[in-house]
Amino acid sequence: MSMYCRSSWRRLNYVICNLILALFIFGNVSAQTPEEKGEKLFKQNCSSCHALNKKVVGPALSGVLDRVPQPAEAWLIKWIKNSTSMIKGGDSYAVKIFNENNKSVMPNQAVSDDEIKSILAYIKNPPVDKTIQVDPKTSNQGAGEDAGASSNYYMYILAILFVVLIVVFSGMRKNLEKIAREKSGLPQLEPKPFAGEYSLAALWYWMRTHKKWVAVITLVLVGYFSQWAWYTMKDIGVYTNYKPEQPIAFSHKIHAGQNGINCQYCHSGVEKSKVANVPSANVCMNCHKYIQEGAITGKKEIAKIYAALGYDPDKQTYSGVTSPIKWVRVHNLPDHVYFNHSQHVKVGKIECTECHGEIAKMDTVRQHSPLTMGWCIECHRKTEVKMEGNAYYDELHAKLKAKYKGEPITVSKMGGLECGKCHY
Amino acid sequence: MSNKKYWRSLEDLNDSPELIKKAQNEFAEPIPMDEFLGSEGVSTNSTPRRDFLKFLGFSVTAATLAACETPVRKVVPYVIKPEEITVGVSNWYATTFANGHDYCEVLVKTREGRPIKIEGNKFSKVTGGGTNARAQASVLSLYDEARFKKPMKGNSETSWNTLDKEVVSQLSQIASAGGQVRILTSTITSPSTKQVIAEFIAKYPTAKHVTYDAISFHGVRLANLSSFGKAVIPTYHFEKSEVIVSFGADFLNAWLSPIEYAKQYGSTRKLNEEKKSMSRHYQFETLMSVTGANADYRVGLKPSQLNNALVNLYNEIAKKSGASVLTSKSSPADKEIAKAANDLWNAKGKSLVVSGSNDKDVQTICNAINAMLGSYGNTIDLENHSNFHQGNDEEVATLIQEMKEGKVGALLMNNVNPIYSMPSAWGFEAAISKVSLTVSFDDRPNETTEKCKYVATGTHFLESWGDASPKPAHFALIQPTIYPIFDARQMEQSLLVWAGSSITYQDYVKTTWQKSIFTLQTDENNFETWWMTSLHDGVRVFWGSTASSTAFVGDIASAGSNVNKTATGGEFEVTFYENAIGDGSMSNNPWLHELPDAITKVVWDNYITMSPNQMIALGYSIEREQEAKSDAAEIVVNGITMQLPVYPQPGQPEGTIGIAMGYGRKVGGKLFVNKDVLDNNVLGGANVFPALSFTNGTVHYMNSNVTIKKTSEQYILASTQTHHTMMGRNMVKETTLLAWQKDKAAGNEREMFKVKEHGKHVEKSAEELDLWASEKNPGFDRPGHFWNLSIDLNSCIGCGNCIVSCQAENNVSVVGKDEVRRTREMHWLRIDRYYSSDRAHSKKPEDGKIQMYHELEVPSENPEVVFQPVMCQHCNHAPCETVCPVIATTHSSEGLNQMTYNRCVGTKYCANNCPYKVRRFNWFNYHNNAQFDYVTNNELSKLVLNPDVTVRSRGVMEKCSMCVQRIQEGKLSAKRDGRRLKDGDVETACAQSCPTNAITFGDANLKDSMVSVAKKDERMYTMLDELDTQPSVFYLTKVRNNETSGAHHEEKSKPAHLEA
Repeated sequence: MSMYCRSSWRRLNYVICNLILALFIFGNVSAQTPEEKGEKLFKQNCSSCHALNKKVVGPALSGVLDRVPQPAEAWLIKWIKNSTSMIKGGDSYAVKIFNENNKSVMPNQAVSDDEIKSILAYIKNPPVDKTIQVDPKTSNQGAGEDAGASSNYYMYILAILFVVLIVVFSGMRKNLEKIAREKSGLPQLEPKPFAGEYSLAALWYWMRTHKKWVAVITLVLVGYFSQWAWYTMKDIGVYTNYKPEQPIAFSHKIHAGQNGINCQYCHSGVEKSKVANVPSANVCMNCHKYIQEGAITGKKEIAKIYAALGYDPDKQTYSGVTSPIKWVRVHNLPDHVYFNHSQHVKVGKIECTECHGEIAKMDTVRQHSPLTMGWCIECHRKTEVKMEGNAYYDELHAKLKAKYKGEPITVSKMGGLECGKCHY
Repeated sequence: MSNKKYWRSLEDLNDSPELIKKAQNEFAEPIPMDEFLGSEGVSTNSTPRRDFLKFLGFSVTAATLAACETPVRKVVPYVIKPEEITVGVSNWYATTFANGHDYCEVLVKTREGRPIKIEGNKFSKVTGGGTNARAQASVLSLYDEARFKKPMKGNSETSWNTLDKEVVSQLSQIASAGGQVRILTSTITSPSTKQVIAEFIAKYPTAKHVTYDAISFHGVRLANLSSFGKAVIPTYHFEKSEVIVSFGADFLNAWLSPIEYAKQYGSTRKLNEEKKSMSRHYQFETLMSVTGANADYRVGLKPSQLNNALVNLYNEIAKKSGASVLTSKSSPADKEIAKAANDLWNAKGKSLVVSGSNDKDVQTICNAINAMLGSYGNTIDLENHSNFHQGNDEEVATLIQEMKEGKVGALLMNNVNPIYSMPSAWGFEAAISKVSLTVSFDDRPNETTEKCKYVATGTHFLESWGDASPKPAHFALIQPTIYPIFDARQMEQSLLVWAGSSITYQDYVKTTWQKSIFTLQTDENNFETWWMTSLHDGVRVFWGSTASSTAFVGDIASAGSNVNKTATGGEFEVTFYENAIGDGSMSNNPWLHELPDAITKVVWDNYITMSPNQMIALGYSIEREQEAKSDAAEIVVNGITMQLPVYPQPGQPEGTIGIAMGYGRKVGGKLFVNKDVLDNNVLGGANVFPALSFTNGTVHYMNSNVTIKKTSEQYILASTQTHHTMMGRNMVKETTLLAWQKDKAAGNEREMFKVKEHGKHVEKSAEELDLWASEKNPGFDRPGHFWNLSIDLNSCIGCGNCIVSCQAENNVSVVGKDEVRRTREMHWLRIDRYYSSDRAHSKKPEDGKIQMYHELEVPSENPEVVFQPVMCQHCNHAPCETVCPVIATTHSSEGLNQMTYNRCVGTKYCANNCPYKVRRFNWFNYHNNAQFDYVTNNELSKLVLNPDVTVRSRGVMEKCSMCVQRIQEGKLSAKRDGRRLKDGDVETACAQSCPTNAITFGDANLKDSMVSVAKKDERMYTMLDELDTQPSVFYLTKVRNNETSGAHHEEKSKPAHLEA
């Protein structure tokens, strides 16, 4: 019982949190000020090399409108779109900036004038970061859930204790009375019919006089518990919602969600290999060489990447001493199953989210699907094979079309349920 | 159909009652249930019911609790991922397996940076994509725990700094004092290594390089020097030979360059619509060799008679060509010699005579015969010769003499183990103690490294840079596929360091290629591009197939008289031969030990082979049951006494003994310690190298003067021979070339059933009586692929290379001798070896074994041999699938019989119902189990496992999957690229590694694929077709180019009767 209630409580909790989250997100989208638009553009285009208040590769941009030659906006638009021509043209401030920054060339940016104006608006007047306000709540979701679950536990344990105490005490009372009666030679009390008083004795009497009802209720209870036991047992080894803590508090929500980085940028094996591939630390460095501070965790978590690589961000040097990052595997398949990502993603054109859920909304990744054989088979039964445009299937497609006469050709009709497809 | 009787052992031929009884059972031993359940046995033991319930309850609770815990598994990505690696996708590298004894150009499959599988390199013009068992197994030697972890000084580990300092100072001291420095290595064909040695010699001028091969072919070089003025081993062209005559040369398995010759020979044995003739092969030999087993005519002769026969052949040819004849003695093979001489003469210029002897006079006569036949310039090429086997026995003998005299101050050794492999007459062990500085470059301990002062720990070839030149105009590269696992440095690098050079050997090789090989070609101007292509292809070939003839200038008269002088034998003559263990340097490799000998099918041991006839006469047991012990004999050769069990070998003449080389190692790995747990009577194989004799300038591998006596000792040999019998049914179909030329379906008659229909007897084939398919139920369709495997019995030479290839690909466990003895070997693929005899065997003899034997004497004396590779036949009407109670074995829409391990509960019904006996049961957990300390009991050798194939655990059945992981990979890669699957895109491990292309795999639904062409061939048959199991594996009949085989009985076999 307790487990059942707990999970429904968790579900409720989850729903509520999602609702709050959704509110914020929609709020964000619906009222986008130039500053907000600029912030987004800034993160997409500039943040690899620039920060507002500190030098990264390029200079800190706070107050840039006051520094550059006037009219600042026009000068900056020209600079952003083609800095090299300005340096070659001999613009004195441009040359100065170029020399101040180790003569590293700022690449030409493909942004419109309006977009540059938004970015400048953002630089001039950076809005208070709303996501930061949201994050503590959402990232505490797990903890809050745990607290809720454990307080429920205490409630149930207390309730059970009370029930036990009541039973024990009433039994003791009865026994004492019995002994007392024996001692004083009084006749023992017979079970008496219900006389308006709710007591155990009354229940006992009722049970003895309503045996058919007792049988029916017992049957119902047995049925209920068997069903509960069946589903509990079935879930053994199924770790849906498994959400282990990772050695680095990496947030998919920030990377895949807010920054919109394509899944394949990091999980590069997904179209080529059986494994999607956890990225090696050098892939992280493509961005984190420049982004040294996160919005939520500051420098702490990013520093772990540097530690793994033996990188010193201040001197920008590698020590050569590396130590691999030991992530905790979230999606575990048994050894006797062969699963290939490229078959599903490249050939089957299945979206990552179909199995992994809304990763872009998860801070810590959670197992979305049960990963049971039943789940695999269910999908193989209903998924149509994407044969169009793939020469491999040409001949087979024609044969199967003739055989199934217009019925959808699912994976299962092509042997997708055969044992040897996954077990060898 | 012939009623020729095929048999796999004498018991089989005799229908020994014990064998028949056992053959009825899939598992020859009764299953010792009582032993499993406790000492008292379940029948007598009274476990109280309540205890039982307690245990039950406890187990259920424990299991439930254990299952509830979430397993925390880590995933550890690269910190900096190498660019060429995609996790989960294999990379392939071309390299060369050249250890002085074997040579094979290979491709290495690596996963996440670890080599896991060796395959042949099809760009090679020498080995042509073929491999042998040792090349296949070499990847396991890389992960040998016994390897040196660091450089060694005496018996303790040291550092490279210390070693370099000490060795260099001692070398300079010796050199300045005028002491001799010797580098003793096995054959080196590498141009770069030779140059490194030259640089070392320039630094230490008293140094000299001596080449020593454990198994020597020096006699061939000496003979060619005297016959043609060139001390070379020629390139033989078996593929151009219509008539091949071999005198004891096991050229398909051991002689000179067996992979090369197997490839060539295989091409002459193919028969199809375009190619309607095949080579004719005569083999005169002592022991039953793999080559002899494949011959069209085979005659068993004693070693001394072999020489007579060779002289007689010379005379026959000389008579035809008008040359002078030699004095000769008659041999028992004169009739066959005359016939062979006729065939040779008729195929002049397209014929070839080879001899396995290491005697220069015998080889000279052989050269003279070839010269008369016009073979030079046609089937023998002296210009583009072979660089293999440069071992010079005379120089080695001189070196040892110098050592004994105290002239040698330093001895550096690479890839040789002289204390183990030299004739004891040379006295190397005594000589080495007189050398003040001894250094070995070996990567693992052996008998010689133990006696060395230093071990400059070398690398395995998969960790090394290098090159090789198997022929003067043929170059191959060796590139590392893994960073050295231990603190090792290859010999060339050590020599460079000691010569005072600071260049890395990798750069050294590249420079050598730039200077001397890049300049040989004009197609590519950019060296870097050319170098990368060379690394990719692995080989650079600059030779065609043209050769010019050379005049024979040898002294045939003196050679003849010398041969006649030595050609007298004693009562017993011994021949030492080579099997999969080779020269013993790879002896700590469990895959090689578990591979059954191609002929005897014995594993893990060497033994004395003898004619069964003679064994009976001398009172040796010829029983070959798993419990039957072999009688041991004591044999004295050249004063060396060896005790070995005696094993019957039909086809071997009386008075001859065979013993395999390469066994009896004592140092260098766990396999040499307590390898036998059978009983106290541990022999563990004997080393025969000390018994070799050195005369006439070469080491000899036969001896005409030995004594042998039976001892009271007994020993159990484990053999796969009597297991899995087919109970005398016609598994192999055979015919002759003449019959085949007349009728393409000769020898391929179907078994018909007599059925009563409407009161009349009619003959029907098995398909017509099929219960499975009918007009209403047409059976299964295979709309996509239909995977088939074709096996050409005519080109299968029985070498066993496919077995090791399959083992490596499919993580097949090694179970050890004791388990093999209990019929529990795990090989998914076996090669059945059937002896045949002309005798129709119908009646059971009544009067005991001797009487029985006399009856069999004549037919079994020189049987013909047929090899038949058998793996799961992937029956489309599979008997195993219908009996599985848990549906763990099922059929796929692509024709595969699938085995689902995680579903199997181990009832073994399937194995019992399989008519081909190809299912293997895991009686134990063979991994992480100290009882099976072979491959998967340590972290290092587990690295060889194929990550795409499940490691099976105890209690499940397994069998050939037709390399389903390769099929799936091939299909997926086609799907990803959006292209259709071509023939040859998917190859099974066995088909890939076959040196004679006897095994072909492919999609039978694909028109014109090799396998669908073979399927239409009239030689095609399926095994046990009377059962109508409709296998996806089929065979092509064996065709022999002689007059008698198979079809020589006109009488049809009696059809089985079935009353319907």
